[in-house]
Parts: sequence; C-alpha cells; structure tokens
Amino acid sequence: MPLKNHVVIVTGGSAGIGFAVAKRLASDGYHILINYNSNKDGALACQSEINELDGACSILQFNVKDREQCESALEGFLAENPDLSIYGLVNNAGITRDTLAGLMSDDDFRDVVETNMFGSFYLMRWCAKKMLLKKRGAIVNMSSLSGQVGNGGQLNYAASKAGIIAMTKSLANEVGRRGIRVNAVAPGIIETKMTAEIPFLDQMKKNIPLKRIGKPEEVASVVSFLISNEASYMTGQTLSVNGGLYFS
Amino acid sequence: MVQEELISKINVTLSEEFELPIEKLTSEAHLVDDLGLDSLDAVDMLVHIEDELGMKLDVEKVQHARTLGDIYKLIGEVSSDSN
Repeated sequence: MPLKNHVVIVTGGSAGIGFAVAKRLASDGYHILINYNSNKDGALACQSEINELDGACSILQFNVKDREQCESALEGFLAENPDLSIYGLVNNAGITRDTLAGLMSDDDFRDVVETNMFGSFYLMRWCAKKMLLKKRGAIVNMSSLSGQVGNGGQLNYAASKAGIIAMTKSLANEVGRRGIRVNAVAPGIIETKMTAEIPFLDQMKKNIPLKRIGKPEEVASVVSFLISNEASYMTGQTLSVNGGLYFS
Repeated sequence: MVQEELISKINVTLSEEFELPIEKLTSEAHLVDDLGLDSLDAVDMLVHIEDELGMKLDVEKVQHARTLGDIYKLIGEVSSDSN
C-alpha cells in the first residue's frame, strides 16, 4: 500500500479517463492531486467521489500549456503541504481540434500541440526534478491509438500523441538510473465525451476484435499498474488499451 | 551565507549524492575527468544544489561548467545577486 503522503498528479482529472484514473489511484492509496483547467465542477465531483471512498485528494487549477501557471500552482501546493511529496504523474490533460489537414488552421495545430505535448513536457520536467531528489517516482503519459497509427482528421492530435510516446522513451532513458520509471498508455476508442461525437461508432465497433468500445476504468486499471511497483521493471513502454483494434 | 560555507555545503551534498570522497572535491576538480560525472549527473547536481541552497542556477551556464570551481563561481554569482 502506498504511503498517504505520496502524491500522484492527474492532469485533466475532471472528466473522462482522467476522472477514472484519479478515482482508481485514490483507491490504490495515493494522495491524488486533480488538476483541472476550466471544469471545476468536474474536479469537485471527482474529489467528492474520492472522499466517499475514504481517499485523499486535492484539486488544483492550472492550464497545462502555461508553464508559469503550472509551476507556480504546483510549487504553491507543495509549500502549503510540506508533508506531501510528489511520487507520480499522470499526464492526461488533452484537447482535440479535429479537421482535415487542408482545412486545419495554424491555431488548430498549435493549440493541440501546446496543450498535449508542451503541457506534458512542462509537467514531466517539473515532476522529474522533484523525483530526482527522492530517487523514486513513476510517470504515465496518455498517448493514443492516433499517435501510434495516425488518423485522418487528427493530424494535430496524432502528432502530439506520437510525440508523447517519443518523450516517454527519451525521459525514461534519462532518469531510469535514478529509479524513476516513465511509461505511456495508448487508449483506443473509450467511452468519453471526447469520443461521443465520433460518427459511425456502431460501424467502428465491428472492427474492434473485442466488439465494443472501452470504459475509462479499463484504462485506469492499466495506469494503476504502471504507477505501482507491480511494474517495477517496466520503463519507456507504451501499453495499448484498445480492445485489439491495433496490435502494437 | 559566506562563500566558504556555501562551498562546504555543496561539497557535502555532492559527496553524499554521488558517493564522491570529499577530498576530491576541489575547485580544480574536472567534473568529467576527475569526478566521473556525465551530462545526466549534471541535471542531478543542479537539482540537488538548487534544493540544498534554495537558489535557481542558470541552466545554460551550468551546462558550460567544466570544473567544480566553475560551479562554485555560478553559485557565488547567484548568491551575491540575491544579497
């Protein structure tokens, strides 16, 4: 059982996969720091569900694509909670701006890459430094099937999620010798608000070997494994959670 | 804190973190050739010095440091700026 003063930061923990991950890791025994940007109600709902499970949880607002905001919010949190230390990070916050490449604006591309990739980088860099001091820690980055195989209409999102896989491998290489593990999870089609708008979803299910879309909890259990000591000899890996839609 | 105190504090930290004999930690000691530190250790060193002394060092200048004396000099500069 992890120590209660071991904090795991879950960015974008106010909805979807992040919400499920935060709940799962709280039930594993970590103190969860739920980050949200605009969805405070979602973060509060997640906090309240964690409290019902007798879990420990705090919420913190910052926009992951704003480095100064991230760092000052997190430093402030640690200053106010000197008994807590950063043990884990789940880089989950992400956005989509789907459109075909020919119609994609510079801003569509920039916003997605800044939030998904720069945001993950800012959090990884800040957390890795804290973890180096303790010589322990585990980071899980949320990639995507799109980042593994590419996806029409998601050039920006796919680029950011492929970049996350490369960042995962690179950081794993740098910090492994200090006992810090860095892995990624690549979900396929998961039942969230982000996928609710996908057209022809029923048709797509037919192409999934498990014949259904996944639940956020099914991603959360894999994140839980990678954060835990059960995965103590795994680093730099990307685990696919996609019902067999793609065999990596 | 005077320069000598800072240096002694850094040396204790480096000795503990990198398992280096304290007598090898001199101004002339070359970070790579004498102390066996590599670029990945440099990040570690930066993180530990910043944590121990509560100051932010110029990352670019740390990357150009060749000897322990260069590191002492950088810390001296930051410390005199903040006084």
